[in-house]
Amino acid sequence: MNEEDLIRRSSEEREKIFRRYERGREEGAEIDPWEDPSFEVYHATDRYGFIHDKRLSSKVDPQEAKRNQIELERVKKWLKMLKSWNSSVSKEKLHKRIYKGIPNSLRPQVWCKLLNLEKIKSENKGTYAEMTRLARLHSTDARQIDSDVNRQFREHIIYRERYGIKQQSLYNVLTAYAMYNSEVGYCQGMSGLAGVLLMYMDEEDAFWATHVLLTGQKYMMHGLYKEGFPKLTRFLAHHDRILHKFMPKLKKHFDKHGLDSILYSLKWFFVCFVERVPFSLCLRIWDIYLLDGERVITAMAFTILKLHKRNITKLHDMDSIVHFIQVKLYKDFMYDDDTVIQSLEKTIDELKRSKLDHPGPPLKDEIPSRPFGVLMQPSFEQIVGRRAEKFTEKEQTTNEIVTMRREEARDALEKESRESQLSVGDSCGLAGSKFSFDPSIDDASSLLDCQHTGSRRSLADTSVTSTADLSVFSTITRSQAHENSLDTHSNISESSVGAISSVGSGIMQSGSIQKQPLSSHSTPRATPHNPSPDVVRIYVPYSPTDTPTVSPQNGDVIHKSPPTSFPEGNKIRIRIDNDDFPTPLVEHGKIKHFRIEHHEIDLK
Amino acid sequence: MANRTSAAQRPNGSTQGKICQFKLVLLGESAVGKSSLVLRFVKGQFHEYQESTIGAAFLTQTVCLDDTTVKFEIWDTAGQERYHSLAPMYYRGAQAAIVVYDITNQDTFARAKTWVKELQRQASPNIVIALAGNKQDLANKRMVEYEEAQAHAEENGLLFMETSAKTAMNVNDIFLAIAKKLPKNEQTTGPGGSGQGRRLVEGDSGAKAAGNCCK
Repeated sequence: MNEEDLIRRSSEEREKIFRRYERGREEGAEIDPWEDPSFEVYHATDRYGFIHDKRLSSKVDPQEAKRNQIELERVKKWLKMLKSWNSSVSKEKLHKRIYKGIPNSLRPQVWCKLLNLEKIKSENKGTYAEMTRLARLHSTDARQIDSDVNRQFREHIIYRERYGIKQQSLYNVLTAYAMYNSEVGYCQGMSGLAGVLLMYMDEEDAFWATHVLLTGQKYMMHGLYKEGFPKLTRFLAHHDRILHKFMPKLKKHFDKHGLDSILYSLKWFFVCFVERVPFSLCLRIWDIYLLDGERVITAMAFTILKLHKRNITKLHDMDSIVHFIQVKLYKDFMYDDDTVIQSLEKTIDELKRSKLDHPGPPLKDEIPSRPFGVLMQPSFEQIVGRRAEKFTEKEQTTNEIVTMRREEARDALEKESRESQLSVGDSCGLAGSKFSFDPSIDDASSLLDCQHTGSRRSLADTSVTSTADLSVFSTITRSQAHENSLDTHSNISESSVGAISSVGSGIMQSGSIQKQPLSSHSTPRATPHNPSPDVVRIYVPYSPTDTPTVSPQNGDVIHKSPPTSFPEGNKIRIRIDNDDFPTPLVEHGKIKHFRIEHHEIDLK
Repeated sequence: MANRTSAAQRPNGSTQGKICQFKLVLLGESAVGKSSLVLRFVKGQFHEYQESTIGAAFLTQTVCLDDTTVKFEIWDTAGQERYHSLAPMYYRGAQAAIVVYDITNQDTFARAKTWVKELQRQASPNIVIALAGNKQDLANKRMVEYEEAQAHAEENGLLFMETSAKTAMNVNDIFLAIAKKLPKNEQTTGPGGSGQGRRLVEGDSGAKAAGNCCK
C-alpha cells in the first residue's frame, strides 16, 4: 500500500471505531459475543460496583456494618463541611477527615473540590466539546484507546457492557485528552486513571480531573506518561534511595534476585495503586493523594514494602516476589485499610524528618512544554500507527537509564560480595572501621507491628511467623555462606557494605546510629512470643589515632558490658526517634505496646 | 543470579537430570494476546479481558524434555509504542523470544516483522525467535494468511505457529518447540550470557518447578 492508501485506511479505521462508541448499544451495534460478558448482578456486586466471581456473603460482616455506620455518621459532618468549603474549613480538620476516608457517597463532590474542577471548568468553557470534536476528526490514538477501554475495569458494573455508557465516556475522555495534551497523547495506564475518575464523576469533570492530575503542581503525572517517562525514572531512583536507607536488607534481597523496582512498582506510580491494592484501600490512597499530592505515592510505596517486608524476604525468587507484590496484595492486603492509612501517615512524617518525602521539583522535561488544546499535525507514522525506526533521543536516554539501573544493582551486589569477603576477615576482632551487631532482616517487627495495631490476622499467626522467621534467617545465612563463601558472621560486614554502596545518597554516614528493632534472632529464646530486644546499630568513624570502643546495646538486654571509660570528650549519643516500630510485648496472649521512654541516651 | 548454578551432585552423590534456565521475552503490538499466551502457558487460564500490561510482567514456567528440565523466565512486555524504550532492557540477554501478532489484524503482523528485525539486530546473536500468529480461534476473521507468515518465518529462520490463548491451541507446543531448539550445553553461563541456558540442579530453586512438570 502506498502512503495515501495507508492514511485513508487509518482514517477509515478511526471513523469506524468512533462510530461504534457513538452508537453505543443501540440497535445495529456490532458487538462480538466475546466482548459482552454474561454476569450475575445482584448477588456478586460489591459496594463499589465491582463484580466478583463468587457470590458475596449474604450475612453482613459485623465489622463492615460498624464501618458503614461510622461512615454514615461522617456523612453529616462532611455535608456540613462541603457547604462552607471555601470559607471555614481548616487545613487540619480537612487533613484529619480525609485521612479517615471520604465517605464513598460524597467522593464525587469532595474529589471535585480537592481538584478545584469548578474553577478550571469555568475558565475553559467549551474546550471539552471542542476536543471531542477534534478527536473525532484527527485522533491517532483511537485504536489503542479502543483496545484498552475494552479491557479496563470490565469486572466493574459500569464498564461491564461493551460500548455501554461509561465505556463511551472513558473512550471520549481519553481521545479528547490525547488531543488536548498532545505532548502526552495517550499512554497505557491513563485508562486506569480516567477509569477511576469516571466512577465518581461525569465525562467533562473526569476530563479536567485527568488534566489536573497530569499538570497540576501537586501531581504532575505528565512527566510519568510522556515519551521516555522522565518522572518515572526519577521517582524510582528516589524510591531506591528510601529502600537503601531504611530497609537495606530488603533492598539487597531484591538486588540478589535481580528485582529492579521498576518491575514491581510501575503501577504504583502510574495509576496510584489501582489494581495493586484492594479497591477500598486504593480509594483511601486516592483521597489522600488528591489532598497531598505526589509525596503520598512515594510514601505509600515505602509503606507497602515496610508492612510486608517479612513476607517478601521469605520469598526466594523473582517470580514469587513479583507475584506477591502485584497479585496477592491486590486480592488481600492482609491489613485493614485503617491500619494501612495510619501507617502511611506515619511514613509520610518519617520521610519528612529524613527529608526524603519528596524527590524535589520536576525537571524541565517533565513539565508540559506545548500549549494545550492546539491541534498538532501528527506525523505520517503517528497517523498510520507505524513504529519509528529509531528511538528518539529521550527514549534512548530512558533506555540507558533503566539498563544502567540494573547494571548498577548487579555491580553493587558483586562489589558487596567482594567487600564482605574482605571485611569478614577485617572485622573479626571488632577493630574494623565500622561494625554492627545486626543479624536481622532490616527490622523484623513489620508483621508484629501490624498485629498489635489491630489487623485481622490472629495472634496465632504470630507464633508461626516468628518461628518461620528464624528458619528463614538461617536459610539466608546458609545460602550466603554457600554462595559468597561467608560464614555465619557475614552479617557483621553488612553495615560497611551498606555504607560503601550508598553512592551519593548520604545514607548511613559514619557516626549515625540506627535503631534496629528485631525479633529474637540475636538472642533466641524458648518461645517466639517473648519480647524482642531493640538492637541499636552504632557506626563509629574510623580514626587511626583514636579508636573508640563501642558497645552494642539493645533496649533491655546488654550483650556485652559497656566500656568503663571513653576518651575525654568523646560522647556518643544514641537517638531513637523511630517510634513507628514500638517493640511489641506479649502478655497473656495479647500484644501490648512497648514504648521507649527516653529517646536519647548519652554514653559518656 | 548466577548463584543458582550449583554443583551437580546431591548429598548421596547421584547426579540428576539437567535443569536449564532460559530467559524468554514476548514482544508484539498491543492487544495481540502476549499476556494471554503467557497466562495460558503458565497457569492454564484465559481471561477474556486481560488487563493491559504496563511496563512488563515476569513469570516462570518449567517444561520437561527427555532428561532435561527447562525453566523459562518469561518477560511479558507492554505493547504500546510508548513503552518501546523499555523493551531492550527486557530482551537484553534473552535466549529466546516470541514475537506475537494477531491473525485478524494485518498491521500487527507488520509490527511483528519489525520486532524480528530489531531482535536480529540488537539482541543476543544466538537468540531463538518464534513467531506466533495468535487468536487462531478467530480464523473466520483472518487477515494474515498462514502461508504468508510461514514464508516470512522460513526466510528469517524463525519457529512459527498459529496459536490461540483462548482455546490453548499450540500454546504449550510453541514453548516446547523453543525449548527443543535452545542449546542445552554442559557449560554454564551467567545471566545475560548468550546462547546457552544456565544449568541448574535439583535442590535449589529449580527443584520445586521440576517437581511440577512431567505430569
